[in-house]
Amino acid sequence: MQNYQPAKLLRLHFTERDRHHGKPLYEAIVNKCQELKIAGATVFRGLEGYGDTAEIHRSHVLTHDLPIVVQIVDSEESVLRLLPILEEMMDKGLIAMSDVKILRIQKTAKVQNV
Amino acid sequence: MLSKGTAKKVTIYLNEDTQHHLGSLYEAILTFLLHKGVSGATVTKALAGFGAHRIMHTPKIEVLAEHLPIKVEFIETAEKVDELLPTLYDMVTDGLIEVHDTTVVKIAMKEKRRAEPKQQHERKAGKAKLMRIFMGEADRLDGEPLYDAVVKRLRMMDIAGATVYRGILGYGIKGHTHKQNLLHTGRDLPVMIAVVETEDKLSQAAEAVEEMLQDGLIVVSDVDIVRLIHPHSLLEATDAKLPAS
Repeated sequence: MQNYQPAKLLRLHFTERDRHHGKPLYEAIVNKCQELKIAGATVFRGLEGYGDTAEIHRSHVLTHDLPIVVQIVDSEESVLRLLPILEEMMDKGLIAMSDVKILRIQKTAKVQNV
Repeated sequence: MLSKGTAKKVTIYLNEDTQHHLGSLYEAILTFLLHKGVSGATVTKALAGFGAHRIMHTPKIEVLAEHLPIKVEFIETAEKVDELLPTLYDMVTDGLIEVHDTTVVKIAMKEKRRAEPKQQHERKAGKAKLMRIFMGEADRLDGEPLYDAVVKRLRMMDIAGATVYRGILGYGIKGHTHKQNLLHTGRDLPVMIAVVETEDKLSQAAEAVEEMLQDGLIVVSDVDIVRLIHPHSLLEATDAKLPAS
């Protein structure tokens, strides 16, 4: 595992109902990451959860208020550049950051310099 | 913590069938109060009543008796009540909340009789590594979904466990956005596999995965693990590979 590079992993926790200028916050965050050329971002939807308010977030026929986790992996420099922007976009929620080692695999033809 | 002396009593009047995210509101309120460490709460079903809608609710009128008034009551310190009220205010969409001053005269709690000792689980803590593998749902290896192939391979290597998550949106090394379209055609949502193992075994696993992945990302981090093993599963678990503190 010598070829693994140090990097940062960000996990943002909030709910599906959170919005940013009218569209879902998770979509807005992913778009922002793309705009800022962050290496990648993935959105996961949880089955059930609760946070600060102790209100249980669960799935229902009519309302969608499930927990959302966005995971972002990039170099420390890029993550630090992104952080203040995320802090401003999120009204409430949680940001967790951890140190990780990463390996990017790209074997298909269209090799670009990353 | 509630003690003898002045306190606040909160009474919430609702209808039995008032909904909160499709569950009943009084249950949601009770769960909320329990999570917030309120000393106690009681729900009472009324015999009859009417409210702001000016409709009489009695067992005779409400044939199914699902429409009767409900009263949720709890007693807490003034500070605690102040902390809880904003959320309750938000939750009670149809009903009435009332707060009054009260005096707690006695709080007594009998020493709880020890019930049948619960079957204790064994707790094992230690250091391990967590590997997250990011790929696309449409990625394939020899005709089968790549995530399937990876999990099978890890299983063959006796890796302690692996979990596959499907994301709802994402982008990464391939440059295109993974998003579900309405027709479910060309579905290529992001997929992440999480694996927890000891450092040695994990680096073997990582090597194997590196070979299998065409495009993707492997992220490794240090984790502290706590494993809870139930006695009845202990037999199978004793030969598991994760460290035991």
